[in-house]
Amino acid sequence: MIGAAAPAERVAAPRRADPTAPVPAGARGPASGRRSGRRFGPAAVTWAGRAARPALWLLLAFFILAPCACFLVLAVSPRLFDQGPQWFTLSYLRGVLSGQTGLAMLNSIWVSTAAAVFGLAVGLPIAWLAARTTLRGRRMVAVGMWVVLLLPSWLPALGWERLVAPDGVLSRIGLTLPWLTHAIMGPFGVVLLLGLRCVPFTYLAVSVALAGLGQEFEDAARVHGASRWASLRVVLPILAPAIWSALAIGFAESVSDFGVAATLAFQSHFSLATYQLYQAIDSFPPVFPKAAAMGWLLVASVALPLVLQGRALRGRTYAVLSARTRQVVRRQLSRAGSIVASAGVALFFFVALGVPGIGAVVGSLVADFGASDRLTLANYQAVFDQPGMSGPIFRSLAYGAVTATITVVGGLLAARQLAKRKARATRWLDFLLLAAVALPSVVFGAGYIFAYNLPIFSRLGIDLYQTTTLLVIAYIASSLPTNARVLVGSVSQVQSSLHEAARAHGAGALRAWLRGVLPAVSRPLVMAWLLTFCGVFLELPLSQLLYAPGSPPLSVAIELNLGNYHFAVGMAQAVVSVGIALAVVGLVLLAYRILAPAGWRRIGVATHG
Amino acid sequence: MKVALTAAAIPGAVAVATVSGPLGTVGAADKVPLVVYSAQGYDSAVTKAFEAATGIPVQLDTNSTGPLLTQIEASKNNPKWGLLWVDGPTAFAGLDDQHLLVRGFEPDVKWNSLGEAAVPKDKSYVPTGVTLTEAMVYTDKAVTDPPSTWQELLSSKWQGQVGMNTPSQSGPTFPYIAGMMNYLGGTHGEAKGEAYFEKLKANGVVIHTTNGPTLQALTSGQVKLALVQSSAGTGARHTDPNLAVKYLAPITTLPSAIGIDAKATKTEQAEAKQFADYVLSKAGQKVMQSGTPTGDSLYYPVLNGEKPLATLPSLTSVKTQNITPYVWGPRENAINTWFVTNITK
Repeated sequence: MIGAAAPAERVAAPRRADPTAPVPAGARGPASGRRSGRRFGPAAVTWAGRAARPALWLLLAFFILAPCACFLVLAVSPRLFDQGPQWFTLSYLRGVLSGQTGLAMLNSIWVSTAAAVFGLAVGLPIAWLAARTTLRGRRMVAVGMWVVLLLPSWLPALGWERLVAPDGVLSRIGLTLPWLTHAIMGPFGVVLLLGLRCVPFTYLAVSVALAGLGQEFEDAARVHGASRWASLRVVLPILAPAIWSALAIGFAESVSDFGVAATLAFQSHFSLATYQLYQAIDSFPPVFPKAAAMGWLLVASVALPLVLQGRALRGRTYAVLSARTRQVVRRQLSRAGSIVASAGVALFFFVALGVPGIGAVVGSLVADFGASDRLTLANYQAVFDQPGMSGPIFRSLAYGAVTATITVVGGLLAARQLAKRKARATRWLDFLLLAAVALPSVVFGAGYIFAYNLPIFSRLGIDLYQTTTLLVIAYIASSLPTNARVLVGSVSQVQSSLHEAARAHGAGALRAWLRGVLPAVSRPLVMAWLLTFCGVFLELPLSQLLYAPGSPPLSVAIELNLGNYHFAVGMAQAVVSVGIALAVVGLVLLAYRILAPAGWRRIGVATHG
Repeated sequence: MKVALTAAAIPGAVAVATVSGPLGTVGAADKVPLVVYSAQGYDSAVTKAFEAATGIPVQLDTNSTGPLLTQIEASKNNPKWGLLWVDGPTAFAGLDDQHLLVRGFEPDVKWNSLGEAAVPKDKSYVPTGVTLTEAMVYTDKAVTDPPSTWQELLSSKWQGQVGMNTPSQSGPTFPYIAGMMNYLGGTHGEAKGEAYFEKLKANGVVIHTTNGPTLQALTSGQVKLALVQSSAGTGARHTDPNLAVKYLAPITTLPSAIGIDAKATKTEQAEAKQFADYVLSKAGQKVMQSGTPTGDSLYYPVLNGEKPLATLPSLTSVKTQNITPYVWGPRENAINTWFVTNITK
């Protein structure tokens, strides 16, 4: 029985609320055991609870659905926003299904599928090794994943291109490898680059799910005679929500990526849908209806992973994190196993970070477009000498912090809805969020202009376009879907018994949540906060279209340097910016370590076996 | 009063007063923020100088040309910009065709021949400088006998040695392609132009995204000749003195220009006109030429009495041509699509 892939509901059936169950060590805060002083009134909490769901839907409708709909409707009714003469036409939709755009869409679908699978194949073992074994340098894995996430996708693409191109670094040092050039400058390279971006999403989703998965399941399997590998067949199905979530988000992130599409894929003559979409918008005059028609195809494409996910998870529950969850024991790797595992993880980071890092740093140190081998720090000097350099940095830090804080709250609410049993509303929410991930940011940006710059708003005195308020709202709306997707894996593990046990011990609803549930999800929340912060800190398409004149964010400042013949200065600025973002990640993780109660931090942390 | 005090204190403001007539077109109490959409490298320096000279507050949206035009088109029912300042007359012609620009405004200046050729008949935009597309850049050491005509690029001597940008990512490349079509077959020269680029492709032209990567391909030895915007080529010589720039005849002009939003308030339109006046004043030209001396400041002035920066090659012995933006602008999407489909791939 154990040897078979046991359906998860048999292993982790939802438990009746058990008022006598001990609160897990990790769930106890410092004040645990003391009666609380001030409590929110039950009526207020109940009201807040009831209001949360409609408020979430209202926010989603206004800030995700409305702008996306305003953009997508242009595919069939360009006249609505003065973008063509037709009130109704299907010509744009028919047009994008054929020729270059149709081919680009097919390319995008298969490449994104392959990238998501690659991300899972690499990210899952790394997450498991870091969370459950004595892998050397495992503490650095999370940091490394954050750096991978931090890098805009065009940076690794340029780094690889610079390395293997016919005039690249390898060629200049006499190491001509045509097969490598051919492999990277083609579909394989595109899948590799996009797949590397998917690995951190898998890592995040799976590692937070592993954190909520106690030792008891592996123990049960081992007690019943399963080998270590066979016990994985028990554990893996329980991680299904996180795995499917990782696949879905990997697919959606890949299908909406523009950085690789505009660099490596373009240079390899391998057309992707996002490139065609951007081309329709970036040409003059922009052909918004054609871009909208491409947007419809991208939205439709996410149905694929959702249908597969729905079929795989139907009728099962994955709530495994309860008061009885046991701290896991870290598995001791053999000497050979340790070497192989460390080498594998190191190889991943070399490919994902080392190569683009070399490319970016070398690019920022060249003095003369790379004509000679002379390296210089002059570009860094220029970055710090530029007037007004600090403004965009502090602005983007503030935008990132505010956006991340609000998004995490919204993402948690959305994740809670997604984690519930599938109702029609939940399925719609799931589709809406994933479709929003699949839409490139430029669609959001243009959609926000169409939706929130209508003349009627100005007549009512509401002028949101070109204000920081609308920019931050757009950041939140574009970050929330990914955020909810990352959180859903861990939220779906939280059993209601955690909350109910706290209530049974006399806590009010809010305090029960703070005491019973927050400790269990605090680490994923911090991770989700950082994910959003990093995404916003260097976000470009939304920033370009929506920033308030006179207040450019950091990404716009970098892009201007890259575009104004100051390529090396722009690269230096990008390197400095990544360093700053990394410092923020370090500070936040340090603050969590210092400020969070020890019990919170112990949840999901393995001990040495 | 504040304007007068500032004007007295800053020589640039005096210049504005002399060029544009009465400086106080917009009264101190009537001033509204002037929203400037610009893709010029020197825009920050110029707007600051303008603010100091006139007291008119400027809100600068500095961006690449693509996002700026996307914003304008997406918000055309309720525009929020005051003036647009980018390279390329075809974009302005497109906006003018949609009645989005103020017509009939021409600063009281003395144009030189480049300026005269760039002013549109309906005066819907104001040229502020000219760059050229595409200049041929090469390395002195690698190329001792560079081509002298566009046809020479098709010879076997330069097989696989010519690099250029793709028009889908590089703004100045469409005017170059249109210019070649215009040169080879006049206003209906698409077929002859396409034949030329097909031969160039058959000769192994290497297509990169934008000026930077194309120059990189040149300096790293992947190609021996790079076709890029004149300001990019000349700017690159600052970082690599071994580079040389040559103009093949005829070379197409690419004016930078200012257009004013037809739906802006009268006050903002008046401020935008003052801005154009300031840009074409002696003080304004000085700021433009010092703003990014290794980038966009490398332009040819459009005014009598103004000289380009010394590092720019002389234009006296080179034949230039202007493409009619109202003819070629509407063809931009079709030509770019053809190029990307048939040449870039």
